[in-house]
Amino acid sequence: MTSIGTGYDLGNSIFSPDGRNFQVEYAAKAVENGGTSIGIRCKDGVVLAVEKIITSKLLKPGANKRIATVDKHMGVVYSGMVPDGRQFIDRARDEARSWRDTFKTPIPTADLASRMGGYLQAYTLYQQVRPFGITAIVGGFDSELELPVDGQVGSGPSCGAGGKDSTKKHGGPFLYMIEPSGLYWGYYGAATGKGRQAAKAELEKLDFSEEGISLEQAVKEAARIIYVAHDDSKDKEFELEMSWISGADGPTKGRHMEVPKELREEAERLAKKAVADDDSDEEEEKEGEKMEE
Amino acid sequence: MDHRPQAWGRPRDDVYGAYDGSYLNHGGPKNATQSPVVTGTSVIALKFKDGVVMAADNLASYGSLARFTDVKRLHTFHNTTILGYGGDVSDMQFLSRLILQIELHQDYELEQLPDIKAQRGQEVMQANNLFTFLKKQMYHCRNHFDPLWNQILIAGFDDERKPFLSSVDLRGTSFSAPSLATGFGAALAQPIMRKYADTEEQAAKLTREEAVEIVKECMKVLFYRDARSLDRYSIAVVTKDGIDLKENEQLEKQSWAFAERIKGYGTQTV
Amino acid sequence: MSMFSQNPLMNGPNYSFSETPRVGAPEGAREHRFDPYTDNGGSTLAIAGADFTIMAGDTRLTSGYSINSRFHRKVFKIGGTTTDQHDAHLVLSVVGFAADGEALMERVDAMCKMYRYRHGRPISVKACAQRLSTILYNKRFFPYYAYAILGGLDEEGKGAVYSYDPVGSYEREQCRAGGAAASLIMPFLDNQVNFKNQFIPGSGEGHALQERERRPLTRQEVEVLVKDAFDGAVERHIEVGDGLQMMVITNKGIEEIILPLKRD
Repeated sequence: MTSIGTGYDLGNSIFSPDGRNFQVEYAAKAVENGGTSIGIRCKDGVVLAVEKIITSKLLKPGANKRIATVDKHMGVVYSGMVPDGRQFIDRARDEARSWRDTFKTPIPTADLASRMGGYLQAYTLYQQVRPFGITAIVGGFDSELELPVDGQVGSGPSCGAGGKDSTKKHGGPFLYMIEPSGLYWGYYGAATGKGRQAAKAELEKLDFSEEGISLEQAVKEAARIIYVAHDDSKDKEFELEMSWISGADGPTKGRHMEVPKELREEAERLAKKAVADDDSDEEEEKEGEKMEE
Repeated sequence: MDHRPQAWGRPRDDVYGAYDGSYLNHGGPKNATQSPVVTGTSVIALKFKDGVVMAADNLASYGSLARFTDVKRLHTFHNTTILGYGGDVSDMQFLSRLILQIELHQDYELEQLPDIKAQRGQEVMQANNLFTFLKKQMYHCRNHFDPLWNQILIAGFDDERKPFLSSVDLRGTSFSAPSLATGFGAALAQPIMRKYADTEEQAAKLTREEAVEIVKECMKVLFYRDARSLDRYSIAVVTKDGIDLKENEQLEKQSWAFAERIKGYGTQTV
Repeated sequence: MSMFSQNPLMNGPNYSFSETPRVGAPEGAREHRFDPYTDNGGSTLAIAGADFTIMAGDTRLTSGYSINSRFHRKVFKIGGTTTDQHDAHLVLSVVGFAADGEALMERVDAMCKMYRYRHGRPISVKACAQRLSTILYNKRFFPYYAYAILGGLDEEGKGAVYSYDPVGSYEREQCRAGGAAASLIMPFLDNQVNFKNQFIPGSGEGHALQERERRPLTRQEVEVLVKDAFDGAVERHIEVGDGLQMMVITNKGIEEIILPLKRD
């Protein structure tokens, strides 16, 4: 994608003759320079993680969170321009609130992704604006239990026809990734930012099936993947920030929250160990190759 | 042709008829609660050594009709504060949703303040802060002649981590005391609670068990004497460890023996 | 004739909106209106001395025959820089409808704070008194249903008491009682503070009687007077009782004294 826009890249809402919107592509470039973000959807929850590059030693460790909560049951992480990400989160929270105002129930993750997709897409249409310089990963857990509507005071009649299909399953963990173009898909594993290639390669190795990895394993995998995707030689130091969402019977009781310190540190310890082991393996291989020569 | 300045720039009356300015007069009804419709009766609350107990029955009445019998009138905020609503149920639902938004907004702000969160848990907004908010909301609505037809009790802890109990009503009148009761409770339950905790000092000597026992006794008296009450009730205890909320309690150890001695009503012949 | 008045000619056009027919509410339908006011009882009292002012109020809060609270303040320090008002120099008492009284107090407090930030010095009682009057008057068509009394020390260091009606009429006085038991306490104060109807014994007959000479009361005398006034009011008025809150304003600051009253 090194071609020059030759005048077709000066504004939104102008297609180039070969059907490209260059502003959107440039926005994607901004994302590619951001710290790696990933999301994992496993059978019993969602994990979000981000490689937070330490841009200054004067910043307080652990402050300036990059993962944000939307409503109670969703989290958003993003790579790219931080101010754009902040605006994205504000909008997502407004959408969640307006959904609650209308339907008196938390917004399903799919609907939030749809609304935010539409929001980002609108920023590719007009001359006066530029697209968002972020790719966002939205993770959420839609309640599997029947939730009371907001302000509900009773439980309705205790007898009667009912009409519910008890065999039907509702809710569950969901993960979406939304790009600057407004494109969004649902994923089992999503990665964006600088280290996305390496992260995607690692995500593809995971087992997301009903018999696959648990939420706690996913937390450890997420930490490992962020460490694997991090390029020691080029990048400055980073902080690992992770959050998770389980169902009502899981550790977060359906809420999006930061991964507890103990678990995060344990995951980081394992991640560092795994990366170190990997490196020494590679070196051994290289040495082996030399020996053969 | 009318040349007076009042008629300048207006359609001619002789052609178009008199100007109908009625749309400027909003004579129709305003969308304001003018009287409560579906109502809950008393809420009672009592402070004790290390917290507050609150109770309210599970009935919502439509006039004298016992309309809904499983209505939860005790709500919680952040596992630190209890709100007990008396009065109109739809206004209660409005407030409950408003407070949910406050709760979400608090969480969003706390997320950016990990230190404060670590220090004080989810309790940055204490019961007294929520109370001040509610008081302003109620007073604001009464100023606009659109009152929220409730009396609300708020229990939890204040900034100094002392038990907190206050009340606010549809006019924004607010006050606090060691024991509080709304509606009939003010006449029937308050004297009983004041017998045990007339002052803050006395309340600070009550144990949790004693306080719960007193409140349960009051709920019984209220069921005996308040025709718009129910023997199913909710009871909540807030301490520094959080809230213990039970929403489907049954009144126990009732004795209607006293009823036999009541004379002077109905069709008795003796 | 009609040339000079603004009335329309004969059955001519009428452009007055207020005279157009009203639609909406049916004829004869009357709106049941919510009453935004209640009376929360209680009484207040203020006496200015030579170099101090004492403001007092009982702490009972009632609605109808019910006692809502036995300890509810209606005398407030205002104009300080912190929530505990440790550096306040003015005191405002409000009695009547408690919610309005407290809303009024908060507004006056905020106003005093703004004055301090803008001018770099605390507001004078005189300026605050005028401003309070304006605040009340501006809401005269939906008044704060509260009888306010403002107390402090004037520019010469003398005790100052300003009393108000709910729509902002005010005057500076030597003493004033407000609220439920005002009519019980005020005559007592006239007699005990301004020595009304006190004459020098044997100074003459009828109009020749000489009035007892007025003198400023000491702080100790006033404190006893206040307590006596409230003890009297408690006996005769059901909305007064439980506790007595007294604020003593001197050039050293404001001292708060809480005393018990009968709780029956």
